[in-house]
Amino acid sequence: MAKHTGRGFATIEYPTGMNQNGDPSQAWIKLKPDGRVDVFSGTVDIGQGSKTVHTQIVADALGVPYDWVTMDNSNTDSSAVCTGTFASRGTFIGGNAVRYAAERVRERVLDIASKELEIDPGDLEIADGEVVAKGAPDRKISVSEVAGAATYAYGELISGQGTALKPLAEVNDDDGSVTEEPHSAISYAACVADVVVDDETGEVEVTRMVSVYDVGRAINPLLVEGQIEGGAMMGLGLGLLEECYPHYPSVEHRGEQFGSYLAPTIEKLPELQNVILENPSVDGPFGAKAIGEMANNAQPPAIIAAIHDAVGVWVTEMPASPERVLRAIKAKAQPRQEGKRVIFDEELSLRTVTSNGGAGFLDRP
Amino acid sequence: MELMVNGTPRATASSPVTPLLTVLRDELSVTSVKPGCEQGGCGSCTVWVDGEPRRACLLPVGTLEGARVTTVEGLGTPRDLAALQAAFNDRYAAQCGYCTSGMLMAAQALIDRTGGGPVTREQVIEALSGHVCRCTGYVKILDAVIAAANGEYEGHHGVEFEGDASQPEVEPKGAPA
Amino acid sequence: MKAVGAKLPRYDGIAHITGRTAFVDDVKAPGMLQARALRSPHHHAAIRNLDTRRAEQLPGVRAIVTHRDVPHNIYGHLEALGVPADEPLLAEDVVRWRGQPVAAVAAEDVDTAMEALQLIDVEYEERPALFDIRLALEPDAPEIHEWGPVFPHFGPHNHRRVRKGDIEWAMDAADTIVSGVYRPQAIEHVPLETQAALVIPEPDGRLTVYSCTQAMYFSLGVVAAHLKLPLNRIKFIGGTVGGGFGGKVDTASETIAAVLALKAQRPVKWRWTREEEFLVSSTRAPWHIEIEDAVSSDGWILGRRMVTLHDSGAYARFSPYGLTKHAFHHTGAYTIPNLKFDGFVVFTNRVPTTAMRGFGVTSVSMAVETHITRVADVLGLDPWEIRLKNANRVGDTTGNLVAMQDPSTVPVTLATADAVGKELPAQFRAMTSERRSGDLLPAHLVAQQAPEGAHVLKRAGALDAAPGNGGGR
Repeated sequence: MAKHTGRGFATIEYPTGMNQNGDPSQAWIKLKPDGRVDVFSGTVDIGQGSKTVHTQIVADALGVPYDWVTMDNSNTDSSAVCTGTFASRGTFIGGNAVRYAAERVRERVLDIASKELEIDPGDLEIADGEVVAKGAPDRKISVSEVAGAATYAYGELISGQGTALKPLAEVNDDDGSVTEEPHSAISYAACVADVVVDDETGEVEVTRMVSVYDVGRAINPLLVEGQIEGGAMMGLGLGLLEECYPHYPSVEHRGEQFGSYLAPTIEKLPELQNVILENPSVDGPFGAKAIGEMANNAQPPAIIAAIHDAVGVWVTEMPASPERVLRAIKAKAQPRQEGKRVIFDEELSLRTVTSNGGAGFLDRP
Repeated sequence: MELMVNGTPRATASSPVTPLLTVLRDELSVTSVKPGCEQGGCGSCTVWVDGEPRRACLLPVGTLEGARVTTVEGLGTPRDLAALQAAFNDRYAAQCGYCTSGMLMAAQALIDRTGGGPVTREQVIEALSGHVCRCTGYVKILDAVIAAANGEYEGHHGVEFEGDASQPEVEPKGAPA
Repeated sequence: MKAVGAKLPRYDGIAHITGRTAFVDDVKAPGMLQARALRSPHHHAAIRNLDTRRAEQLPGVRAIVTHRDVPHNIYGHLEALGVPADEPLLAEDVVRWRGQPVAAVAAEDVDTAMEALQLIDVEYEERPALFDIRLALEPDAPEIHEWGPVFPHFGPHNHRRVRKGDIEWAMDAADTIVSGVYRPQAIEHVPLETQAALVIPEPDGRLTVYSCTQAMYFSLGVVAAHLKLPLNRIKFIGGTVGGGFGGKVDTASETIAAVLALKAQRPVKWRWTREEEFLVSSTRAPWHIEIEDAVSSDGWILGRRMVTLHDSGAYARFSPYGLTKHAFHHTGAYTIPNLKFDGFVVFTNRVPTTAMRGFGVTSVSMAVETHITRVADVLGLDPWEIRLKNANRVGDTTGNLVAMQDPSTVPVTLATADAVGKELPAQFRAMTSERRSGDLLPAHLVAQQAPEGAHVLKRAGALDAAPGNGGGR
């Protein structure tokens, strides 16, 4: 009986936005008479923090303090369409919608301020809720005053709306080719997993995971860390612990409670080291890309590679449960060599389990 | 029957086999206590009964005559947060917030029973081992509990609302005299 | 002070840590009823008879609904993306998975609702079931879906195809061909908040729907379509969800709760139990992936042949979309010039599968990353070096002929090597994402490289060349 250490890693990529695009997010913003900002976004916050991220984007795109901004995503009467919080689109596409709306509002504020100050809008900037002449900081008017003037003197509701929509990229059904980019951006990441494998029980313990994510721009670094850390544990569960169908493809003996379905608990938490790289996107808000979904993609293959490094077996039916690891250790399976072919996992293949060598699946022209 | 909830006597007309979780949420509108599984397996319904963390989904209310029940509402309020709550907020220990109430009750109980001083990572892991969080990966929850127990959030913590301080009034331009 | 990049309080932070965030189940309405669903106990069966009369007599029962109460019962969530409708809200003449909803009850309390379920009479006639996607094309495979064993609407094809370059050239030119089979599994989303909906019929005839959806307008559209209502007759309230991870897009509770609320003319709350979450909520899909990589002895991946089976469960839901995304990313973070990919959405009698964090690409990452590590091992090469060599670079094209503008495989891999103290030879340390040239542009990668500034490679340029356009090596 022995414990073996191993290290494995994986490098991945993941698209931002719905595949093939065509997924709008819309937002609109109005200013209250005292300059406070009401934002109506349709993006649902599922815990990832989109309400916070969107508030940050609006605050900086407009030039007002963060706590001037109210974010209302609460209902479909007042909010416009956001296709949904999925496809890692909340920060990029949802965020662009609120950013475009904020930029329209900024234009209106500058226009009224320029009339009040008698300075060209191009010579004005907005920061911390104040419109200030570039190079002449004593020539200024607060956004509050501008909003009051709009309401009571100019007869204008200062508002703006924005839509982020990349048009649908059609796919050729014969060869999969496209004529336009089918995504808004691509994020990249890598994960190194260190494991200890017990060759008598088959148990695999992950002792450390190092994760590197290129997210374009970390609008809120703590929220990005939250995705990395939450994703790491979900990836650990996906790699080692969780399965709906313990005897897949059979549907019997499903776990119906915590304890028979093994979602990771705090005791499984390894040492986590996170590195965030910022390689900005061209047209995401402030250069952001995405992270939400890819956060649980690199861990399973990193763990599989680490198990191989530790005990010399490949587990490719998931999860790498103690039973599967032990069976692999006992079987010591080697790939079959046939000429220049090296063939792994033959017993799992369509060629082997079907009556006709996988015809219909493996032989498409 | 009657029980104390966050220091206030509350009467319940529910049948004695009704879980405390259901009495708190449905009858008494104490909704910080969450029905994550109703199987005792996730910890999100954790409350204190006479100071001890218990799973409200597994407690028939009939066994609690005269008991003192404490929930998150009794830990702190937005204007007067417990140090642990301030730590959770500052360190982003809550993402979706659904497991948070149970985590707070279990963690505060740990801090209280170890004398209010620093706690080790191992102690926190043991105290929270029966709590499931699907969002955070537990890292920031762990950090927040250790920081709070270390005394990093002593003193008053709470949201200061803008209306609390005097604000210069904005004169609306063109308003009727 | 700038907000972007700063450490600021979470917008909803105080509410979360004081237990005051209102999730769907925290909301109550006067006169609220409790709902429960009657679910098929069989994996596959015809429904010969469905009679709710005995249940309707139970005191405390206020409404029972079946497919007859749904104005538009079979609505396709992805009709706009070319996926025709196949799934009923409430079963009509057949059930295809154990747990499929057949009827629903709204009663004064949960116990009454559950008792009423026992009094609904359903006559089933069991049929054989299929659970192994690999056997879906066997001559004796049970018929499950009216479309046949696999989703048939990828244009004229029954599979999603990628064809790039000349895969036969690659297999001929390879020094080694490495093949493997990858079977990532179904898992549950396990949000701490279970599926929940509260639907309130308003005096003016509108419906207010408190929803845990991840997609307000999408779910609004689903409910409106089933009820044949314009979008302004329904108001969705939500936006703050106790975890989703892709499992709260299916709109699994709102519509049935709405049908009950309309019939009872009282608010209806339906909160799923954790058992329902574990046993009948949609799952991440199981996949079966077979990869054959044609590789040179010095570590170039000359070509990839890949066949993927995606276990859709009993209905299509979002599976065609997920498989298409999988196809678009089946080369991983690397540039592979010759490709033959075929992907199938296969029907089985299990709970319909759905999106979960990484939808379509999680399975790619597990398979292709494990495979490239295996290839390195077989060739006796360093797994970091083989990745850096084949890494996406500016001007490289994807399997769909998209030209990469700003890939990060190289910087991310090098940063990871730094973080773990992995030593690399100088030429690998010095690698960047810039356009391939010199040693990094062997003959077989020339045809796939897009002209500078191009966003896509024109189809003709990439595919119409004679066999062997991969060039010599």
